[in-house]
Amino acid sequence: MDINNILAAAGLSLEEKFSISLTTLLTGFVVVFLVLILLIVVISVYGKIVYSAQNKSKEKANEVKAEAPKAVASVNTAPIKSSASGISDEIIAVIAAAVDSTYGAGNAKIKTIQKSSPISGRPVWSQAGVLDNTRPF
Amino acid sequence: MGIIDGFLKGVVGLFNSSGFAALNWQNYVMVLISFVLLYLAIAKEYEPLILLPLAFGMLLVNLYPSIMGAPSTEFVLESEYLKTHDISTQSVQYATTVINGETYYNVPTYGGLLYYLYQGVKMGIYPPIIFLGIGAMTDFGPLISNPKSFILGAAAQIGIFVTFFGAIFLGFSQAQAGSIGIIGGADGPTAIFVTSKLAPDLLGPIAVAAYSYMALVPIIQPPIMKLLTTKKERCIKMEQLRPVSKLEKILFPIVVTVLVALLLPDAAPLVGMLMLGNLMKESGVVDRIAKTAQNELMNIVTIFLGVTVGATATGTVFLQLNTIKIIFLGLFAFCIGTACGVLFGKLMCFFTGGRVNPLIGSAGVSAVPMAARVSQKVGQKDNPTNYLLMHAMGPNVAGVIGSAVAAGVLLSVIPH
Repeated sequence: MDINNILAAAGLSLEEKFSISLTTLLTGFVVVFLVLILLIVVISVYGKIVYSAQNKSKEKANEVKAEAPKAVASVNTAPIKSSASGISDEIIAVIAAAVDSTYGAGNAKIKTIQKSSPISGRPVWSQAGVLDNTRPF
Repeated sequence: MGIIDGFLKGVVGLFNSSGFAALNWQNYVMVLISFVLLYLAIAKEYEPLILLPLAFGMLLVNLYPSIMGAPSTEFVLESEYLKTHDISTQSVQYATTVINGETYYNVPTYGGLLYYLYQGVKMGIYPPIIFLGIGAMTDFGPLISNPKSFILGAAAQIGIFVTFFGAIFLGFSQAQAGSIGIIGGADGPTAIFVTSKLAPDLLGPIAVAAYSYMALVPIIQPPIMKLLTTKKERCIKMEQLRPVSKLEKILFPIVVTVLVALLLPDAAPLVGMLMLGNLMKESGVVDRIAKTAQNELMNIVTIFLGVTVGATATGTVFLQLNTIKIIFLGLFAFCIGTACGVLFGKLMCFFTGGRVNPLIGSAGVSAVPMAARVSQKVGQKDNPTNYLLMHAMGPNVAGVIGSAVAAGVLLSVIPH
């Protein structure tokens, strides 16, 4: 449709223009604010509930953890063997931290650390990329 | 002689089918405008991801208008068709029409390439898919930790409705005025979504205006922000936001979708897809699809959206007085939105006893993350140790939701 035809069809009186514009302005203003204010209320409420619930559970977990490190320390005292030479203590510490963060402290034990041979000559980051995109659902 | 005649006929035929014979002056002007937009996209990097395909779509359609041509039916005289194709009547599959005793085949002709790609815009498919990608990239953490930011996101939408007022008085119809007003939301996909439903004829000028102003946020907003705030206000340092847990972030998209879809069903396609993308990101269990949504899928749809929206800007449609009106009204909408955001920021500053920096209000227009960066930059000019970025991200992402809600209001209020 041609724009000029639409404009001609839109020939409204001044009164009609005022009434349409003000109705839309008022409706839009009120509805947008009401919806967003409702969202503020709902998000604030559930935010407070979740935040306080999680804080409580954290406090409990901290109490449990305060006793746990002794037990973990006694389990993980055996030295880790690194079969390939050139793996520094820092790297071993980083790998141990990563394993702990994945499985939870004390839930897994590292016995040996081995350097993997690159698949089809790809660098490690390329391998990670390939795995990331080809791992099945 | 026969050979020369054939040669001349061939050359004349080629010229007649070429752009030189088929195009009018408006097309050439549009070609020049597309060059300017290409320059802005490439040399100045103004929203290049959308402006480059948009400008090229504009260029293509004005050089070869049939690329946007709709499919049609051609009536071909039966005898001529059989002669040209050297086949029997039984082999022809087309329906026939008899006119004045002569039988014609109804031969369908296919539409142009961009006509088919444009269906995604026309049917309102591409903008929600882009919202899916935006959702998968957005961190709503700052908004969840400070939900009051929603007020600023709502305030910045006032420009949309004020401009509607102005557009009606400049002679536009309700549907057109709604589409023009939505430019003030500073959200390209939302503007295209609303316009494709309310006033598809204005899609070209409105998309160009919306994306141009989004690119010009760093130029348009700072003077308004400075004009409406005092130096003391601009120097206000805001408290650090509380950390937001993963559970809160996961619940947020679900809660927002349920509420908005129930209250404003017309906003559901945009808000729903935005929140789906965000849930994919925050849940952490569908990393691969979240990555696809924010990268490959969004990029593909951006190309289709950009090039086909650009292709709606043909010379005869674009080169009208109305386009100039739309450009000015869009700027007006954008300025009013920014000003209302800052003014509501001042109100919040007053009611919180000076704990809110009004500069974050301007980020309520949803150009993410550009508007938030502008708040940060303007704030740092007066106080180099002030970091407003994360505080401004709250209203900024609230603006995305706010503009989608405003779009829902326009679609439900305006008859179309």
